[in-house]
Amino acid sequence: MLRILFAILAGLFGAALLHLVIILSLPHFTGRDAATRVASEGDLDKFYLLGAADDAAGLSNDDPFVRTAVCAFDIEENPVRLTAKGNVPFWSTALYDEASNEVFSMNDRTSVGGALDILIGTPIQLTELRKALPPDLQKTILVESTRSEGYAVLRTLAPQASFDAAARNFLAEAGCDEYAGSSN
Amino acid sequence: MFRFPLFIAMTLIIAFGGGIMISLYALDATAGFGAIKLGAWEAFPELQTESADPYAKSHRARAGRLLYGNAEGLMFTAKVDDAGTRLNAGCSYRITGQTPPARIWTLFTADNSGNPASLRTGLPGAMNSWTVLRQPDSSFSIDISAQARPGNWLALPAAGTFQLVLTLFDTPTAGSSGVIDLAMPKLQKTGCGNA
Repeated sequence: MLRILFAILAGLFGAALLHLVIILSLPHFTGRDAATRVASEGDLDKFYLLGAADDAAGLSNDDPFVRTAVCAFDIEENPVRLTAKGNVPFWSTALYDEASNEVFSMNDRTSVGGALDILIGTPIQLTELRKALPPDLQKTILVESTRSEGYAVLRTLAPQASFDAAARNFLAEAGCDEYAGSSN
Repeated sequence: MFRFPLFIAMTLIIAFGGGIMISLYALDATAGFGAIKLGAWEAFPELQTESADPYAKSHRARAGRLLYGNAEGLMFTAKVDDAGTRLNAGCSYRITGQTPPARIWTLFTADNSGNPASLRTGLPGAMNSWTVLRQPDSSFSIDISAQARPGNWLALPAAGTFQLVLTLFDTPTAGSSGVIDLAMPKLQKTGCGNA
């Protein structure tokens, strides 16, 4: 009888331990977290527009009025510059690292002149750049990320059907490019 | 002589079975701690951040959604009405009042996994702060029912439970910890069946 009780207690203890292990390690191997899904959209350094229904990677706009584009990037070698501008009532962007933690987010009210212009790089790359800031980066928002891989989500709104074309244009022309150096 | 292996097998079954079951249950039951509840509405302002708790991180890794950043917006979901009963497509509901300050908000009826509910084409399943009709004091009243209503109306899916998703874009709410004072719109049941 005592043996049964002991077996049950040991089992419960093991279950609690396993529960902790599962909860703590799950984010690293689900294979369907947001970062993995964005990465499986396609190439790095390119914005992909999402549709109303889930695509092959399992991503969609989620909200009927929101239009979304995602870009996976790797700043190991060079920083990545995000640019977009257009006549939309609202846009917002968020940068995440490979563990899907938010690194930085902003919207059009906090931007310079209503245009999206962000450079994301490692602290070392940005320190190098800041020493002699190239003229084309004068108005750029510099964001530091300590992890080399990540993804950007760019959202805009189409509150009425007539805004749809502008929203689509805004996202289609958004740039997510490796910044190799000043173009001058 | 077979009792000892039996005990070991029992221990292992309880450990693995129980551990896996309770983990799945915990992840399906909630999106983690750190929820703010305002009436029927529930939001997780820190779900996308590094400081989210381990349950929230596991939950978001399994769900794989693109979450709103702090400066983007805050998403509230309502699975129950103000009285605490589960939202059901057989009943009709009314949302009245104001939202917390935000530049734009959107509201849509969603299925249980949070995707926009599938409705017959042509029926309105979503509304935003630009298209909603308001009272003179800028408050609004939205009817949510299967039958069409005058004024603001959101259609419901054919049957089953559903949820409502209200997203506030560019809102100070997302960054504030004193969300308790915020007034969210009321969500009341107005009747069930054809009444």
